[in-house]
Amino acid sequence: MNNIIASVMPQEGGLAASPSRSYNAIITVGGLLAAVGLAAGLHAMLIGHEHAYGVTREVPWGLLIAAYVFFVVTSTGLCLVSAIGHVFGVEAFKPIAKRSVFLAIITIIAGFFVIAFEIENPWRMPIYNMLSPNPTSNIWWMGTLYGAYLFFMVVEFALLQLEKHKVAGIFGLLGLVAGIAAHSNLGAVFGLLGGREFWHGPYMPIYFITSAMMSGCAAVIFFHWVGYKANGWKMSEKLEASLCSTAKLGATLIAVIMFFTTWKMISGISGQPPGKYEAMMSLINGPYAVNFWVGEVMLGMVVPFILILSARAKNLPVLFSASVSGIIGIFFMRYDLVVVGQIVPHFHGMGINELPHLFTYTPSLHEIMITVGAVGLTVMGFLMGERLFRGHLSEDH
Amino acid sequence: MKVNDLEKLKSEGIENLPSEERRRFLRFGLAVTGVFLGGSVLSLTSTRNAQGAMGPVPPAGKFPYKPHYTMVIRQNRCIDCERCMEACTKTNNVASYGYRTTILEQEIDLGRGEKGRMFMPVLCNHCNRPPCVRVCPTTATFKNKENGIVMMDYDRCIGCKTCMAACPYNARYFKEENRAIDKCNFCFDTRISKGESKTACAAACPAGVRIFGDLTNYDDEAYQLIHTPEKVVWVLRPETGAMPNVFYMND
Amino acid sequence: MKRNNKDIFLIFGLLALACVLFAGQVYGEEEYDEEAYGPLKPIVWAKPVKGVVFLHKTHTMGAGLECDSCHNGEMFEMAAGTAEENDDFTMASLYEGKYCGSCHDGETAFSSKTRCATCHVGVKGYNRLTGVVLHDAEGGNH
Ligand code: HEC
Ligand code: HEC
Ligand code: HEC
Repeated sequence: MNNIIASVMPQEGGLAASPSRSYNAIITVGGLLAAVGLAAGLHAMLIGHEHAYGVTREVPWGLLIAAYVFFVVTSTGLCLVSAIGHVFGVEAFKPIAKRSVFLAIITIIAGFFVIAFEIENPWRMPIYNMLSPNPTSNIWWMGTLYGAYLFFMVVEFALLQLEKHKVAGIFGLLGLVAGIAAHSNLGAVFGLLGGREFWHGPYMPIYFITSAMMSGCAAVIFFHWVGYKANGWKMSEKLEASLCSTAKLGATLIAVIMFFTTWKMISGISGQPPGKYEAMMSLINGPYAVNFWVGEVMLGMVVPFILILSARAKNLPVLFSASVSGIIGIFFMRYDLVVVGQIVPHFHGMGINELPHLFTYTPSLHEIMITVGAVGLTVMGFLMGERLFRGHLSEDH
Repeated sequence: MKVNDLEKLKSEGIENLPSEERRRFLRFGLAVTGVFLGGSVLSLTSTRNAQGAMGPVPPAGKFPYKPHYTMVIRQNRCIDCERCMEACTKTNNVASYGYRTTILEQEIDLGRGEKGRMFMPVLCNHCNRPPCVRVCPTTATFKNKENGIVMMDYDRCIGCKTCMAACPYNARYFKEENRAIDKCNFCFDTRISKGESKTACAAACPAGVRIFGDLTNYDDEAYQLIHTPEKVVWVLRPETGAMPNVFYMND
Repeated sequence: MKRNNKDIFLIFGLLALACVLFAGQVYGEEEYDEEAYGPLKPIVWAKPVKGVVFLHKTHTMGAGLECDSCHNGEMFEMAAGTAEENDDFTMASLYEGKYCGSCHDGETAFSSKTRCATCHVGVKGYNRLTGVVLHDAEGGNH
């Protein structure tokens, strides 16, 4: 065992991480945030989610589900983008594979961190997932497949470290398949709910996979740039070219998402389909309009798209800015997707006096702290990974 | 039989037949012609309900449950006295911050610009195709194979709240004390399995709004109510395809 | 300058008109005379069930009933909350033609066997009215 670990953790070669104090400080801050998030989560568990979270009977899913979706979207996306190189053998994407696989692991762990506090009895999940499974449940499939996904990705990463690229590729493929299946099931968790018009339909699984790719591209650019900047390393030309290819792919996916979003909105308002229409209007000119127009449309789509195009997918600092904007926008997309799907009252259009036109939801401090904690966890894991795995360099590339 | 007697028979008319026979007679007439044999034209809705299959009430034998528990809500009788809610809370130890059943206030249009009020009791609809049961990862919520009641096994609930998101009727809440979702189970554990014939809410209702019954028993009040030929019977949110077992009508 | 003056006239004219109309409205509301029509404040009973409402306004001013068609020594006292102390203040009595049922029998006024939620405002209505009652009483005292 020690041998394996020793060979997985490189002691020399690659790039030496910056020993600077500020680098350490950021790791510490990330760790502290994660610890605060952990404390908030445990506290919520203790006093009961009823008292700690902003979610209600009417809107049972809030920021934490959105954050969970965000992290697993990013993870799946990283896995997808990295697979282009080391599973399907596209040269241009090879240099980014290793760091992406590592970050896919980190972000899925961050996702699990969030969901552990979102679920009321997380300890029961592994037990009854096995003892009394429900094969018609998308949540069951998603949970199980993401478990498998994590396993495959960890094995894949270890194999990559061991320079066993062939076998790693096989596990990469398994991870990819599990990831896609898991993630489209997550889409189906929403999409197959007939009682929620905003979500209902085949759109969700398709949209989830597409936007995962988009998130993946943003995350690849973001983490590579930060990793190299923070350590003062210089990128190889190959890596730079790789990131540019990623940016091009990202721009394409943004275009696809723009197209999807446009038709989703149009189909949601034309003919005013009951239930869906109210939700759409809350995004277009209702309480979620700022989230939608500024967060989703501007930060998530228009700004990164224009930045990438104007830099002709070449100028790395510009691509980095595009990725930051995109990641923030994607968070809004997740949040709106989760919350807006629930705000239309169940008995809408029936003239029920006590029902508002739309339900409201505001995240509580606990929920925010847990989400920030997961971000801290990601930052910490990422920076420690840079140091531990010496810049994720791989001879093969 | 003498001619006089025949005449007498005729003059009785179908109004005086026992209700069971009368219903059969009406349904026969409707099935054949869509028009009541006696001559008066019936509305489309009546035809639909008389034929059953096209309305919200599933035809006998479509689902395997026996008894197939149901609740009929005679909505216009509801006066929002909320005794049902009190009884439910007491019987089933419902948390103070939650409910298994509630009354909603509905504004209705009486025509000619006049607005009226109706109260609408809501509870778990014990759907024949329950979305909540489909989505539960650990089968913590399940449909009882014998009687069709949608039940909870508290120990298996992981609290993911997907069933809450899936329920078209907002019939579920998370009960911290149980660390599980709590919901109406037609008082199965507290009353029905102990031999009571009514749920707590139905027993407490002073206005005869809630009629608890069995869809496989043709003599059952609930069954007869929703098979009254002239009556319009509806369910909430039929478009979701959940096929609820709580039926609404006006008496 | 001249044109401006005209405008001012116009504005004043409109204002005056608005005042007249507004006053008319206020007058219209004030028209409810408690002496003539009985108290404006809704009477809400909580027993045996919560939330039955009775409005003098719809009966006296609206339906043109005299006080003694109800306050005749048999049916209702002129004191809110008296009837609900009686054991027989129930639907069964109403159906027998007592209390509200003496008119709400389907002939004089709509039957107590129908339109339940017209008299019954329920717990929701009760809570709302016990809040609104104060407000209405103030309105009546103007
Ligand atoms: C349609 C029946 C009806 C008519 C007509 C009617 N009342 Fe009443 N009145 C009632 C009822 C019912 C009560 C409440 C009695 C109770 O709660 O037991 C009541 C109560 C009162 C009360 C006591 C209110 C209080 O807050 O204690 C007054 C004063 C009163 N009526 C005055 C009048 C006057 C004046 C008229 C004629 C202009 C009139 N009523 C006409 C039915 C009527
Ligand atoms: C003396 C006869 C009489 C009695 C007693 C009486 N009502 Fe009425 N009520 C009327 C008439 C007449 C109308 C108006 C006609 C109609 O709507 O049928 C009316 C109308 C109403 C309305 C409808 C008002 C609306 O907004 O349309 C309500 C509610 C009502 N009554 C409640 C009561 C209650 C409660 C009682 C008993 C406390 C009562 N009434 C006793 C004669 C009576
Ligand atoms: C004309 C007004 C009126 C109408 C219409 C009316 N009620 Fe009532 N109801 C009353 C009054 C007055 C009481 C007694 C006061 C109380 O309980 O607060 C009462 C009490 C009751 C009670 C409790 C006492 C009992 O009899 O058990 C029930 C239950 C009830 N009503 C049901 C109904 C139903 C069901 C309908 C419709 C079919 C209806 N009511 C229509 C006025 C009315």
